[in-house]
Amino acid sequence: MGIASRSEGGSGRRAEWRAGLAWFGALAGVAALLVPVRTWLEKTHIALAFLLLVLAASATTGKRVGIGVSLAAFVLFDLLFLPPYSRLTLENPLDWLVLASFLVTAVVAAQLLDQAQRKASEARDRSAEIAQLATLGAEALNAPRADLAVSGVADVIRATLPVERCVIHAADPDRASDDLVTAVLQRGVAFSELTDGTTHALRSDTGQTGEWWVGAPGRVTRLLLPLRVRGTTVGALELAGRSGFALDPAQQRMLDAMTFYAALGVERGRVEAEVKHVAALEEADRLKDILIASVSHDLRTPLTTIKALARGMQSYGDERSEIIEQEADRLNRLVGDLLELSRISAGGVRPDIEAVPVDDLIGAAVQRIEGTLGARRLEVSLGAEGSLLVGRFDLAHSIRILVNLIENAVKYAPVDTPIAVDVTRRGRWIEVTVADRGPGVAPDEVERIFEPLYRPSNAPPDVGSAGLGLAIARQFAEAQGGTVAYAPRDGGGSVFTLRFPAVDLVAGSGAD
Amino acid sequence: MRGASEDGNSITWCSDGQRAFRRANVQTMFHRMPAAPRFLVIDDEKQIRRAVRGALLALEGTMSEAATGREGLDLAASERPALVILDLGLPDREGIDVCRELRTWSGVPILVLSAREDAREKAALLDAGADDYLTKPFDPVELLARARALLRRSVGAAERSRRVAAGDLVIDLIQRSVTIRGERVHLTPIEWDLLVALSAHPERTLTHQQLFSAVWQGRSHGDAQAYLRVHIAHLRRKIEPDPVRPRHILTEPGVGYRFSL
Repeated sequence: MGIASRSEGGSGRRAEWRAGLAWFGALAGVAALLVPVRTWLEKTHIALAFLLLVLAASATTGKRVGIGVSLAAFVLFDLLFLPPYSRLTLENPLDWLVLASFLVTAVVAAQLLDQAQRKASEARDRSAEIAQLATLGAEALNAPRADLAVSGVADVIRATLPVERCVIHAADPDRASDDLVTAVLQRGVAFSELTDGTTHALRSDTGQTGEWWVGAPGRVTRLLLPLRVRGTTVGALELAGRSGFALDPAQQRMLDAMTFYAALGVERGRVEAEVKHVAALEEADRLKDILIASVSHDLRTPLTTIKALARGMQSYGDERSEIIEQEADRLNRLVGDLLELSRISAGGVRPDIEAVPVDDLIGAAVQRIEGTLGARRLEVSLGAEGSLLVGRFDLAHSIRILVNLIENAVKYAPVDTPIAVDVTRRGRWIEVTVADRGPGVAPDEVERIFEPLYRPSNAPPDVGSAGLGLAIARQFAEAQGGTVAYAPRDGGGSVFTLRFPAVDLVAGSGAD
Repeated sequence: MRGASEDGNSITWCSDGQRAFRRANVQTMFHRMPAAPRFLVIDDEKQIRRAVRGALLALEGTMSEAATGREGLDLAASERPALVILDLGLPDREGIDVCRELRTWSGVPILVLSAREDAREKAALLDAGADDYLTKPFDPVELLARARALLRRSVGAAERSRRVAAGDLVIDLIQRSVTIRGERVHLTPIEWDLLVALSAHPERTLTHQQLFSAVWQGRSHGDAQAYLRVHIAHLRRKIEPDPVRPRHILTEPGVGYRFSL
């Protein structure tokens, strides 16, 4: 290969001389053999014999010797085999034609042979070069850690190219110290800085890495190439030499291949970092679950005691115990809401989404809340007569949503008005509505009521809630791929709608 | 009934093949017992143990207390209690492991107390052999009711009647018929199997897995749980006076269903 063959010059020339002399000797020998029989031989026989010799000489020792031997053969042909002998002049003028064709054939044949051989050896060199690059690159990339792989590639580049510095930058534009590096990372273009201090953006027609180098003028002090994987810039390769450097075609090819390996190394680092990040997130998630479980345990255990003691006091007829118990229940709900909200905001809600009949949702929600409603009426319908609606949602979360929506209605609507819960199917969605005859929501507050801790301006002072119910309802609904929305009700009041996707179960799966 | 086999006084539930537990010879155990039942509460918090004692006062039994899982298992082995109340936040062991270990050699009813409202945890506990689950802070009256139901169930396990009456609803296991106020209700075979499986264990939550094993004799997979739910919904519409306010088949979200008399 080009890089390795430079030192062979001196000894190569001497060997060529020796081989050349041998071929001249061989030519003289052949001529000496033929001279005694020259009167019986045709001119073409001699020309062919010499031609063979010329071809053999150029095939084994190259173009220079080949042409030298052809010139010598030309002179010998004229002097020894074309009458008058021993003189350069020719008896028959047509013999000039023979001589000239011999010379041209010999020289062209020597040239062609040499060219073909050079191409073959170039191809051999090239494949050796590629094999070497592949080995180097693969060895570097095989390092146990991604950062070692990248620095291994940089070492290979530094060792094989005439540069002083080779830096591989990973794509993190925020951390790049240099404007030029940032430009390469962000725009994916290549730059060169020349010895005269000017900077040039290198153009590329194809966007292939190797094309950047084409047309870079003069000696370069700094070269920046984008590192690309599947069309995205993942990093930048920086080469620098204080006194400037230029690369021959073999070195450019080498650089090409190495940029590719560097890109793969940087990408490997990015993927490894991502995997590590995911593992860290999972660990954080696990710790968070443990924390929430233990906080939950620590807060609820004393509440259990308080509740049990209050119950015990009730049997002695102390009315205040009832208040203690109610307040303990309220505190417990608040603890639950706060834990739920912190779980949501920490991204720890993993909805368990399954196909569930809406009957299950409505029945369980009504069962959970009806005991706390007292005199208030709840009008519930399961939608169109006889049809069983099935939706895709998290049952426990949806019960919570529905209970929160009903509790919200209970807080704001007058005690003597019923709260209506209805189910309807609308296209691909199932809608569960909770409608009340409360004061409704002012238009400018419609989105704010879903914010945690928000209390509408018309809330009665003793509404007895921290304002977490609607926020939790909305967050849960969105986590399961649905929505909770508010709309004013015809004739006054509010309608809150919980939406989730409907499911059409395959025929035969229903009632057999 | 398929999946769950009953021979005399032992019932075996196959929850999923590997995790099977056995409630064996419940009756024999009870015959040897003194008139006052013995309870075991396993909880590291003294105040909770006190609250449980107070709640169960009405049962007129004797109460043993353990503060760790290890101690609890030892007491359960030596005293053969009629009911174990197990808190999940124990210092030395996971509550679910205590539950599993207890189940390897005892059929005693286990009532679990947990501070977390987590359906997955609940289902896992029931599949591991717990009989009931109560979330803290619990209502002492509720605890008493659940404890009573568990005691009644284990005593009555052997003499399971051939006829279950729940309000207006009557299930006749010999006639294979269901009537509401004397009027016959037509059920599909799957609905019948579900109703039999549920009513065999009144007031006890059966997990989806347990119901599925009982009716389909196999593991539930994919949409199978959705079909189970749809069958339950159809069954409810047939036997509940008001499907919006079910009285007999109650949903335990994320866990399963409970049959209530």
